[in-house]
Amino acid sequence: MKVDIQSLETFNQLAHEGAEQATASMTQMTGIDAIVDVTKISLVNRADVGEELDTQEFVGVQFDYTGELAGETVLVFDRDCSESMIEALLGGASSDEMARSGVKEIGNIMMSGFIDGWADYLGTTIDHSPPTYIEGVGPDVLPDAPEGDENDHIFVFKSQIEWPNESLEFYIYMLPEYEPLADVMSEHADTENDAIPIDKLEVFNEMTMRGTETAAENVTMMTGIETEAEVSQISFAPITDVPKQVGNETYVGTVVEFTGVPSGFMMVLFDERSAKNVAEAMMPVEVEGEELTEQHKMAIEELGNIMTSGFVDGWANVLQTSVDHTPPRLVHDMGRAIIDPLAAQVGQQQEHAFIIDSTMKTEDIEFEAEIHALPNEQQLREALDELLVERADETDADPEEIFQK
Amino acid sequence: MKVYGGESTAASNKPERIKVGIAEYDVTRNGAVLTTSGLGSCIGVAIHDDQVSVSGLVHVMLPSAEEMDDDNPAKFADTGVKTLIDELESMGGDRTNMIAKIAGGSDMLDFSESGSGIGQRNVVQVKEALETFDIPVVGEDVGGDHGRSLRFEGASGDLIVKSANKDSRTL
Repeated sequence: MKVDIQSLETFNQLAHEGAEQATASMTQMTGIDAIVDVTKISLVNRADVGEELDTQEFVGVQFDYTGELAGETVLVFDRDCSESMIEALLGGASSDEMARSGVKEIGNIMMSGFIDGWADYLGTTIDHSPPTYIEGVGPDVLPDAPEGDENDHIFVFKSQIEWPNESLEFYIYMLPEYEPLADVMSEHADTENDAIPIDKLEVFNEMTMRGTETAAENVTMMTGIETEAEVSQISFAPITDVPKQVGNETYVGTVVEFTGVPSGFMMVLFDERSAKNVAEAMMPVEVEGEELTEQHKMAIEELGNIMTSGFVDGWANVLQTSVDHTPPRLVHDMGRAIIDPLAAQVGQQQEHAFIIDSTMKTEDIEFEAEIHALPNEQQLREALDELLVERADETDADPEEIFQK
Repeated sequence: MKVYGGESTAASNKPERIKVGIAEYDVTRNGAVLTTSGLGSCIGVAIHDDQVSVSGLVHVMLPSAEEMDDDNPAKFADTGVKTLIDELESMGGDRTNMIAKIAGGSDMLDFSESGSGIGQRNVVQVKEALETFDIPVVGEDVGGDHGRSLRFEGASGDLIVKSANKDSRTL
C-alpha cells in the first residue's frame, strides 16, 4: 500500500478544515475566539499516542464511527479550558452534571461537522455514534487500542486549538483504524509519481526509535545518567507549521545539516534546566550559580555531537548508505527561532514537510532532550525507495539486526 | 482573514491581543496589540498609518513568491508586504501616510555555502517591496545571529523587539 505526498497534503488540509469548522461552531456558541494552531498527521506507535497531553486533566467527548473509515475521534479540553467554556455557554456556576452535559453538547456540535467534512470529501457516509463523555489524566483520556489489532503503528490526525487571550488549548484527535485508512489513502494516491509505501514509512519510524535509543545510550555513557528513548514519530505538516513543533521557551542545543540520502537538518535541543543538569553531570567539578556558563555550553556541544552521531549512524546503518553531517553548531535561543531558518531552507523546495521527532527522558534528574529532524522530501523518498522491505511483518527484525554492532 | 473593527467585544481596558503566526498577517483599527514570535530568518513587517490609526503586521518566511508555486501571499516578502498594504488601505489607510518598522532576518543557522542566506535575502526583498510603495522604514532591527519576538502596539505604532539573551528594544 502506498501513500503519496499529494494525498497526505489533502488529508492534512481536510483535517485542518474540519478543525476550523469545529472551532467556528464553538466560537458561535460561546463567543470564545479560538484559533486552530497546528494540524498534523503523525505516524506513531499506538502506545505513544497522546504523549503530548502529559499529566494534565482532560474532559471531552468521543465518537466511534464506521463506514469507509472506521475508528474513533476525540475532542479533549483541559479542565480549566472546559470550565471557562462552560461558563461562557451556561453563564455562572453550574453543577457537575450540567457541566458534563455542556461538554457533551458543545462536543457534539463541534465534531459532527468535523466528521461530515471527511465523509463529504470521501464521497461516502460515515456513521458515527452519539457522543460519549470522557475524562482522564494525560494520554489515558484517549481510547485504548482495539484488541487484536495487528498494527502497532497508526496514523493520528491531530489539531491543536488555541485560545490566545486565555492561553488555553484543546485538541482534536482522529484515530482511524489503520487498514481502512490505508485503503482510503491508497485509493486517493497517485502511485505514478511520488508515492511512499506506508510500510517503509513505518520502518523509518522504527529506525528513528532505534537511532534515539543509540543516542540515549551515548548520553548514559558520557554522563552516567540512565537515559531512555521515549517517543518517536514521523509527522507531516505544512512547512509553515514546522516551527510549532518546538516550544517558544529558550533552548540550548546543537544543529547540523546532514547530506547524502536523506539530507536535511537535525536538532538536539535541551530546555535550559535540562541543559544545565546534564552538562553538570559531565563536569569534573561542582558548579555554583544558576547561569549557563561557557563550560556548560561546551559540554552541550559535545553531547549534541555524540547524540547526533548515534542518531544519524542509526539511519545510515539501516539505509546502508553514508549520511554525513556538518560539525554541530551550538544554539541558545528561542525554540521557534532555532527551527525557523531550517524550515525556511527546506521550504524553498517544498510546501509541506516530514518532521521526525523523538524525545528522551530520565527518572533520576530533571532532564529531557528532544531530537527533531527535518529531511528534504525528495531525498527522503529516495532513501525510502532504497529501503528493502518485503513485508511489513518482517520489518520488526530488520532494524534490530542491523543495530547489533 | 479576520478583521478587527471598532466593534470589539473586549470588555476590559486592556487592548485586545492578536497573534500572528508564520505566513500570516492581521490588521487592527482599534489599537489591538499584534504579536508574533520565534522569528529566525523570517521577518516581521509592521506598518502603521497614524492618520486613520490602522496598523498591521505580517510574518513572512521566504523572499519571493516567484520562486514557488504557492498561493499564500503572506508567506513571501514581496507578496506579503503588498497584501498587508492592500488590506490596510481597504480599512481606510493611505500608503502615503504609512510608515514601516521591520525586525528579524537573522542569519543564524544558515548552512548555505554560496551566496547570501535567506535571512539577508528576506531583508533585501522586504525593503525593495516597501520602496515600491514609497513607504519609509523608520525603524529596523535585522540580521545578526539570534531570534526575535515582536509586539506591535496598534495604537502607538511602537514595535517592541524581544530577544532571548538581550534586553528588549522599542522601535
